[in-house]
Amino acid sequence: MRKVVALLLAGGVGSRLNVLVQYRAKPAVPFGGIYRIIDFTLSNIANSGLTRVAVLTQYKPLSLMDHIGDGSAWDLAGRTRGISILPPKTGEKDWDWYKGTADAVRQNLGFISSDQYSDVLVLSGDHVYSMDYWPLIDFHRGQKAHVTIGMIPVPPEETRHFGTATLDGRKRIVDWQEKAVKARSNLASMGIYVFDRQYLVKTLGKTRDEDFGKQIIPRALKEARVYGYPFEGYWRDVGTIQAYWDANMDLLKADSGLLPEASNIRTNHEAEGLPYDRPPARVSASARAVNSAVSSGCIISGAIENSILSPGVQVEKGASVRDSIIMHDTVIEEGAHIERSIIDKEVLVGKNAAVGHGNAKRANSRFPDHLYSGLTLIGKQAFVPPNTRIGTNCIVYPSVGEKDFSSLKLGDGGTLEK
Amino acid sequence: MKNVLAMILAGGRVDELDVLTFLRPKSVLPFGALYRIIDFPMSNLMNSGIERVGILSQYRPFFLMNHVAHGQPWDMVGRNRFAVILPPFKGREASDWYKGTADAVYQNTDFIRMYNPDLVLILSGDHIYRMDYQDVINFHIEKKADLTIAFTSVPGEGADRFGQGLIEDEDRRGGRVVRYVEKPRKALFNWASLTIYVFNPAVLMDALNENAREESHEFGRNIIPSLVDRARVYGYKHPGYWGYTRTLEEYWRTSMDLLGSRPRIDLKAWQVRTNLAHGEIRDRQPAILGPSAVIENSLIYLGCEVRGKVFRSLLFPGVHVEEGAVVEDSILFFDAVAGREARIARTIADIGVRIGAQARVGGKGGELSVIGMESTVPDGVTIEPGVTVYPNVEASRFARSEYKSGEIIK
Repeated sequence: MRKVVALLLAGGVGSRLNVLVQYRAKPAVPFGGIYRIIDFTLSNIANSGLTRVAVLTQYKPLSLMDHIGDGSAWDLAGRTRGISILPPKTGEKDWDWYKGTADAVRQNLGFISSDQYSDVLVLSGDHVYSMDYWPLIDFHRGQKAHVTIGMIPVPPEETRHFGTATLDGRKRIVDWQEKAVKARSNLASMGIYVFDRQYLVKTLGKTRDEDFGKQIIPRALKEARVYGYPFEGYWRDVGTIQAYWDANMDLLKADSGLLPEASNIRTNHEAEGLPYDRPPARVSASARAVNSAVSSGCIISGAIENSILSPGVQVEKGASVRDSIIMHDTVIEEGAHIERSIIDKEVLVGKNAAVGHGNAKRANSRFPDHLYSGLTLIGKQAFVPPNTRIGTNCIVYPSVGEKDFSSLKLGDGGTLEK
Repeated sequence: MKNVLAMILAGGRVDELDVLTFLRPKSVLPFGALYRIIDFPMSNLMNSGIERVGILSQYRPFFLMNHVAHGQPWDMVGRNRFAVILPPFKGREASDWYKGTADAVYQNTDFIRMYNPDLVLILSGDHIYRMDYQDVINFHIEKKADLTIAFTSVPGEGADRFGQGLIEDEDRRGGRVVRYVEKPRKALFNWASLTIYVFNPAVLMDALNENAREESHEFGRNIIPSLVDRARVYGYKHPGYWGYTRTLEEYWRTSMDLLGSRPRIDLKAWQVRTNLAHGEIRDRQPAILGPSAVIENSLIYLGCEVRGKVFRSLLFPGVHVEEGAVVEDSILFFDAVAGREARIARTIADIGVRIGAQARVGGKGGELSVIGMESTVPDGVTIEPGVTVYPNVEASRFARSEYKSGEIIK
């Protein structure tokens, strides 16, 4: 059988996720309680039976590397299977940082140089979806394509975030636009490419192109056979705070199509390095817990509604959490109220504090294009003092402490830094 | 630190646990909405820094092997660390099935010699407790004992099921054992054996060799009484929680100690580990509580889906409680399903049990009901408290719509 090697581009900064990516790469951002975004792509790779994988990292790779470990959580460790983490390495020059996605692959050309591979599957670790890659690969081979791009219809107003294409009757791409505001087609690139290996090696060798989306694909459209493979199913780009929140909430909707367990999406529970396993979640006699996702180690004594709780979250008696995403080991103390907030790991919200309530029309003044829809972000290990009022569209930076709060109020659209 | 070799007696099935141990050894009985009972001694060993463990098993050892996974969940895989299963083997002359706890260890004396430990720690694999075995070991060394046995206060009822000791008050930790009687008809002394033994290897070997010539081969009945008079046998009084799980009622009561606002069993403080890679645990999504869910004073694990009501219950991974169902004071093992508007009370439902829509199982008063692995209770059937359903009973085996207390459905 001709083999496929998978390259997972996990270097994305994902800056629109704001404080969630301050200490981690976008693929390592927690998702859906127990997962990280990259789990979806890693699980798709494993579920498709691909056994040789490279993860190209660059930006803040530590939590990502811990999480991937030796790949055994996705059954990618063994004599004939494996996952290699390829960070940028200093080459002839002192500083050969990856200049883009294609440059990252060029700097690791050795990994795909073996003749045993006929095709290279290039993936990104930025999306939440479940997909068997084989129908795509079979289509690519059937068309004798040089490049095949996985594509999915998006709402017309979203096309400005994507490359979009028009296909002919045989699904060959006849028209391509990169991030067009009023695109001629709403069929968007999923950032998934199958390359004929020889074509990819040759192109990377003869050009200095740095980016797949911006350079390699437009070049291929001119000189090679490029096809689009339309995918039907759940797929979300979670690159913005609102999209990230929406996709998390899909876990609570029976008909959303996001079904991680049924899709065999796996994560690495042991990467947390705890000396014990997190016990089952404890829901106390005083709790009220509806329409929510709850993870191991949670202790719920207050009220939760329409919320996603990661492992180890504590909601104390008399506290409430609504329409929110609360990450690992965060504690919501007695009488505190949280709504429409995304609270990162190990945050302490003090007694009777209120977070997220306010007038959604006032966007964040520093990042109006990140927070504008009535959501508040609290960074990792921040401390919200008792009785504090934090409005909506607010950002509290990671590790902010009591002394950083000059008053007990942070108005709508406000930002508090350490 | 002393070189300690641990041996866990994880062999048997227990008659009083009935259908729950028909198909599995007691030591892998699920407990606490996630764990298996053997996770408790294994985690205690790990937390005590004892990383060389032999597990003696003879009944359906596959389940145990699968769960223990060479000790990897407890970090016992390494050059000088291991957890191995020691099944009985055929001797040169005959089939030498383990004939008792002492015989099980006797048949593995070469295993003990191979590792030449300073001390042998013998445990049973069927209790729920937290203990730093180093405390017992230090006591043993300090007292220059040949054998140290851990004890707890004799429980009020069922004293006839325990070995009982009379312990001299040397210090608050315990003292010399002056009398020991295995399972007396009534309570004789204040202290009940926890079947935790610290042995000097030479004493153990001599006692086992001597016992091998006798008819009965049990630590409690034979070895300990024979040593009390002629060796330095000490009793260590375990100061903490001790949970028995030898009868259904005990198992249920110990399970309920996980609940309440200050649970007597604090799983996080105890630092318990299990095998997260086990097929029944791994790859579960977060528990989903539906829009109409009510859940109070209960434990739930990943993979559960609750759309009905759950009170004072333990839900293992993958349990589904459908719309309108009410589950009270019950323990539902992995992937059990409570159908729409089913009512379940004081019931233990084993792995994969399906309770049909509008079925009624158990009741608030009366005895526990038990439903064996993979059995199906059909829609609308009523099962009174104290009914036992065997494993793998299909819906078609239920001929009636009502079953009375004490009935057994096979």
